[in-house]
Amino acid sequence: MRRTRRSGTAKATRISAAVAGSMALALGATACGGESPGPASGDGELSGQTVTVSAVWTGVEAKNFQKVLDAFSEETGAKTQLVASGDNVSTFVGSKIEGGQAPDVAMVPQVGVVQQFAQKGWLVPLSSKAEMETTRNFAGVWKNYGTVGTKFYGLYFKAANKSTVWYSPDALDQAGVKPPKTYAEMLKTAGTVSDSGTPAFAVGGEDGWTLTDWFENVYLSQAGPGKYDKLASHDMPWTDKSVVEALETLGELFGDKDLLYNGSAGALRTDFPTSVEQVFGPEPKAAMVYEGDFVGGIAKDQFDRTLGEDAKFFPFPAVGKGDAPVVSGGDAAVVLKDGKNQKAGMKLLEYLATPEAAAIWAEAGGFLSPNKELDLESYSDETTQAAAKELVDAGDTVRFDLSDQAPASFGGTKGTGLWKLLQDFLGDSSDPKATAAKIEAAAKKAYSKS
Amino acid sequence: MSSVEAPARGAVTPRLRAQRRKRLVAAVFVLPALLLLGALVLYPVIFSVGRSFFDASGDTFVGADNYTEMFRDPATLKAIRNSTIWVVVAPVLLTGLGLVLAVLTEKIRWATAFKLVLFLPMAVSFLAAGIIFRLAYEQDPERGVINAAVVGVHDSFSESSPYPNARSRDGETLVKDGEGYRGKDAAGPGDTVNLGFVGVPPGEMPGEAKPAADAAKSTAGQDELRGVVWLDFTPGGGGTAGEVDAKENGMPGMKVSAVRDGETVASTTTGDDGAYSFSGLDPGSYTVEVPASNFAAPYQGVSWLGPALITPAIIGAYLWIWTGFAMVLIAAGLAALPRETLEAARMDGANEFQIFRKITVPLLAPVLTVVFVTLVINVMKVFDLVYIIAPGPVQEDANVLATQMWLVSFGGGNDQGLGSALAVLLLALVVPAMIFNIRRFRRSES
Amino acid sequence: MSAPGTTTRPAEDGPAPVSTPARSTSEKARKGPVDWLTKRLGNGLVQVSLLLVGLIWITPLAGLFFSSMRDDKDNSASGWWTSLVRPDQLSFENYSTLLENSGITTAFWNTVMISVPTTVLVVVISALAGYAFAWLEFPGRDAIFLIVVGLLVVPIQIGLLPVAKLFGEIGLFGTIPGVVLFHVAYGLPFAVFLLRNYFAQIPREMLEAARMDGGSEWRIFVQLVLPLARPAIASLGIFQFLWVWNDMLVALLFADSSAQPLTVALQQEMRQFGSNISVLAPGAFLSLIVPLIVFFAFQKHFVQGVMAGSVK
Repeated sequence: MRRTRRSGTAKATRISAAVAGSMALALGATACGGESPGPASGDGELSGQTVTVSAVWTGVEAKNFQKVLDAFSEETGAKTQLVASGDNVSTFVGSKIEGGQAPDVAMVPQVGVVQQFAQKGWLVPLSSKAEMETTRNFAGVWKNYGTVGTKFYGLYFKAANKSTVWYSPDALDQAGVKPPKTYAEMLKTAGTVSDSGTPAFAVGGEDGWTLTDWFENVYLSQAGPGKYDKLASHDMPWTDKSVVEALETLGELFGDKDLLYNGSAGALRTDFPTSVEQVFGPEPKAAMVYEGDFVGGIAKDQFDRTLGEDAKFFPFPAVGKGDAPVVSGGDAAVVLKDGKNQKAGMKLLEYLATPEAAAIWAEAGGFLSPNKELDLESYSDETTQAAAKELVDAGDTVRFDLSDQAPASFGGTKGTGLWKLLQDFLGDSSDPKATAAKIEAAAKKAYSKS
Repeated sequence: MSSVEAPARGAVTPRLRAQRRKRLVAAVFVLPALLLLGALVLYPVIFSVGRSFFDASGDTFVGADNYTEMFRDPATLKAIRNSTIWVVVAPVLLTGLGLVLAVLTEKIRWATAFKLVLFLPMAVSFLAAGIIFRLAYEQDPERGVINAAVVGVHDSFSESSPYPNARSRDGETLVKDGEGYRGKDAAGPGDTVNLGFVGVPPGEMPGEAKPAADAAKSTAGQDELRGVVWLDFTPGGGGTAGEVDAKENGMPGMKVSAVRDGETVASTTTGDDGAYSFSGLDPGSYTVEVPASNFAAPYQGVSWLGPALITPAIIGAYLWIWTGFAMVLIAAGLAALPRETLEAARMDGANEFQIFRKITVPLLAPVLTVVFVTLVINVMKVFDLVYIIAPGPVQEDANVLATQMWLVSFGGGNDQGLGSALAVLLLALVVPAMIFNIRRFRRSES
Repeated sequence: MSAPGTTTRPAEDGPAPVSTPARSTSEKARKGPVDWLTKRLGNGLVQVSLLLVGLIWITPLAGLFFSSMRDDKDNSASGWWTSLVRPDQLSFENYSTLLENSGITTAFWNTVMISVPTTVLVVVISALAGYAFAWLEFPGRDAIFLIVVGLLVVPIQIGLLPVAKLFGEIGLFGTIPGVVLFHVAYGLPFAVFLLRNYFAQIPREMLEAARMDGGSEWRIFVQLVLPLARPAIASLGIFQFLWVWNDMLVALLFADSSAQPLTVALQQEMRQFGSNISVLAPGAFLSLIVPLIVFFAFQKHFVQGVMAGSVK
C-alpha cells in the first residue's frame, strides 16, 4: 500500500511541489536570512549532535531507512531524527526553513525539486569527500542528475527501475510462450497470450504517469539517449519524426483492443494499483503489467505473491535496432544550508554514498540502489537483484523519467499536458502525428512559462 | 468642527463630546469586520482585476490578452461551456424537482421524515459527496451501485451470450462479418467446414466441452454440410494455428447457420465436441455463419465517468445534495399560501393539476425566484465536486470555471494572470445577483 | 440569497421548516366516497414514489457506510450490497487502521482547530458589526452596509491568489491562523447581513429604555441584544461551523501539510481511488460524523442556518 502510494505519489508530489514552489516564489519567500548554521563542533566525533532528516517515507520504508540511520549513528555517535515530510516536500522544507526548523538533510524525490531547491539557494554543495565517493561508486549519469549548474548537490541514494515488465508466469505458460527479447517479439507474445484467453496487458491508464513511462521506454530505446535528453530539455520539438515513430510503435500495442484487458476504454478507467491487481490479484484478469520495480513490492505485500515464482519481470525489451531502455528515477539526499548541524548532515551524506549504507536497506527489501559497488547478493531475492543489475549495468545510458524533468504543468498534472494527451492517445491511437503536434503545443506553452 | 463651536459654547460641547464618543464606540464595534473585509475581500477584488492585465510572471502588462486567451484556449473554452451547462441545467432541475416534491410531501403524513432524509446531504461535505458518488458511479456493475441497477434492468430484458470474448485470428478459417463471423470460403453439401476461435479464457469454456479432433475429421454425407466449431488454442502452446489439434476442445452451444444468397436456410447449435451439421441441403454454394448473438459482450452499464457523461453525472451528485434545500424552502413558501384561494378553486371543481399550474405556481413565484437565483450563484462556484469526482483522464472534460481557475493558477499551469482573469470573470457573472441582492434589500428597508 | 423575506427573521418562521402543516386530516373528512377512493389511490402512488425517492437518497450514503466497513479485497471483488447478505465482511478494521494513521488524526484535529475558532470569530465580529449597523450612528453607515450586501456573493476564488500573496508576506501562508482568517473574512458579509437584519427587528423602545437607564452600548449589546438574538446566532454559528468543517478549496491552498484538515488529507488519497477505498470510505465517514451529529442535534437551527445562508 505504502509503496503503491509512493510510486504514484512521486509525480503528484512534484505537482504540489511545483505549485508550492511557484507560490513561494510569487510570495517573495521570506525564507532567506535568519538562522545561520550553528557552529559544528569537532570533525571526527559527532556524539551529542542530532542530524534531522526529512523524507517522504512512512511505515515500512521509514523503518528501513531508520536502520540505515541507526548504522550511521553507531559509526559516528551522532543521533538521528527522521521526520516525515508528507507528499509535498517543497512546501514542507520551505515552511521549515521559514520557521527556523530546517532539517539538516532532506530526501528529495525528483530531479526538478533538487534543481528548484538549488536555485533558491537552500542547498549546500556536497563535500569533496561525498563527491569523490559518488564518482567512485556511481555511474556518471547519477552525479549529473544531482548536479545543478556546476555544483554537485544531490546524492541519489534510492532509485527506481522503471523498465520492468511484470508478468504472471502461469499466464505465459498457459499460452506456451517465453518472455520476449524485443518489442516486436513482445507484441507477438502478447497476441498469443491473448489468443489463449487471457488478455495480455493490464494498463493503468487512469494514472497518466504510467503512460508517460510507457512512452519514455519506447522512445529511449528507439530514438536513443541523445534525442531523449533533447526532448527532456525541450531542445527538440515533439513534432520530431522520432516522436511520431515512437507513438506509432506504442500505438501498435495501445491500438490493439485484443491485447489490453477491457480494451483501451477499460485501461483508461484503471488506476495503477488496480492494473497490478489485474495481473497479480486474487482473480487475475491479465497476464502482464508494465511499470517500475515497485510493482513487485505490491505483488508481494498486497497479493502475497512470491517474487521469482509467481511474479516475475523481464526487462523492457529493445525497440527496433536500439538498446533495451533503462528509465529510472530516485530519491536524492541534499544538505540544507539552514540546517543546524550541517556538518554532521554532510557526514551522513558521505555515509549514504557508501555501499555499506545501501546494503542495509537492500537486505530489508523494497529498495534499489544505483551504487555499483553494492554487492548484488545484498538484495533479498533474485528478482530484485535482477532489477538492480539491470539498473547498474545500464551505466551511463540510464535516463531519468522524462516527464519528471519537464515543468509540472506539462509532465505531471492530472488532466492536462502530456498525461492527458497520452491518455487521449490510448483512447484513440489512430493519428500519432496529430498527437505529437498537440503535445508540442502543450510543451511550448509549459516550457515558455517555466 | 470649530464652526460649530461658535454659538453656544456651554450647551454644545457636551453634546459634541457625546457624539464623538458615540462615533468612537461605533468604530470599535464595526472596525474588526471592516478591516477584515477590506483587506481580504475588497482588496483582492481590486488586486485581481489589476493582475488580470499582466502576464503569467506578472512583469509585463498585456492588456486584455488574458481575456482573449480565455476564449481561445480550448481547455478554458470547455470550462466555460461546461459552466454554462451547469448554470442552465442544474438550477432548473433543482427548482422543478424541489417544487414537485414539496407539493407531493403535502399529501403524506411522514413528510417530516422525508424532508429530513432529503435535507441530510446538505450536511455532507462536497469531498465526502464526491467520494460517495465516485463509488456509486463506478463502471464495473459488480462494484458501482448505479450500474448494477442499470445492468440488472437491462439483463432482465435480454439474454447473455455464451462466448463474449471469442474471436478469430484474422482470416484463418473465418472472417469477421459485422459483430459475427462467417466461414472464409463458400462451401456446399458434402463439405466439412471447421471454424476455429481463440481468446476464450479457460474459465469461460463450458465444462462439457470435449476434444474436437475426431468430429473434425469425419466426412460429410451427400446432402450434408458439417464441421466443428473449436477453440483453436492448445493450452500450454504447441498447437498449429488453423488445425484441430488433439488437445483442442470443441465449443458447445455455439449457434451456427447455413446461408445461401443472403438467406438463412438452416440453423443449429454445436454439440459438446463442437460438431454441427446441416443435412438435406439442396446443392449449391453456402456460407456458414456464426452469428453475432454468440459473441455479444455482456452489457457493461453506462460509462458515467467517461468523457461524454461526466458533467451530467456530477450534476446528478449535485442534485443529491441540493434537492432537499430547494424542497424545504419551497415547502415553507407553500405552507404560507392562503388556504382559502386553494379551497375556493377546489370548490369550483378544478383538479389538482390545474390548481398546481394556475394557482400554486404563480403564488409561489417569489419563493421560486429566490431558490432559483440562490442555486445559480452556488452552481457558478461549484468546485470540490468536479475536482473530486472527475477521474484524471476526463478532468478536462468536466472542468468548470472554478476548477479551471484553480488549475490555471495553481495546478501546474501557474499562470496567475489568466487565473486572475478567470476569477474576475466569475465575479462578473455574479454581479447581476449582487445587484439583485442590493435592490431587494433597499426595497425591504423602505 | 433567501434575501430579506426569509433571512431577516430566521427564528420567527414559526415551526421549523422541516415539519408538516397539520391539515390533511380535516380535508379528508369532507370529501365524498368516490373522491376519497381516487384520492386514496393517487395518494398510494404518491406514497410509493416518495418512498422510492427517499430510498434513492439514502442509498449512496449507505453505500459509503458499508464500503467503509469492508476490506480492499472485498471492495474490489464485489459491490458493497453483497455485505447485506454476507455481514461477515463487515468489520471496524479500516477504522482502527485509520485512527492509527497519524496523518489522518492530525488532520482531524486540524479541522477542529480551524472550524471552531472560525465560528467563534465570525459570530463575535459579525455580532459587533451587525449591532453597529443596526443601532449605532456613524457616517456612511448605510452606504457601507450596502457594500457589505454587495459582497454577499463575491466568489471565494477571487481571494485565493491575492490573499495567498498577502499571507506569504506576513508569514501566515500555510498556517492554521491563515486558513481561519480567510474563512472569517469570507464568512463575514453574510453573517453581518443576517445579524444586522435580525437586530433591526428589536423594538426601538426597548433599546431607548435601556439607554435612558444609562446603560452603555456595550452593556446593552451584551445583556439585551445578544440574548434576544440567541436563535439567530445559533443558526449562524451552526451554519458557519459546517461550512468551514466541510471546506476543501480554501485549505487546499492555504494549509500546508502540517495544517491540512481532513478534507485535504483525504483529497490527497484520491489519487488512486479504486484501490484506496479502505482509507477513503472510512475517512469520508469520519469527516461526516461531526456534521451528522450537528445535523440531528440541531436540526431546526441547521435547516434555518442553511436556508438563510444559501447566499454563499
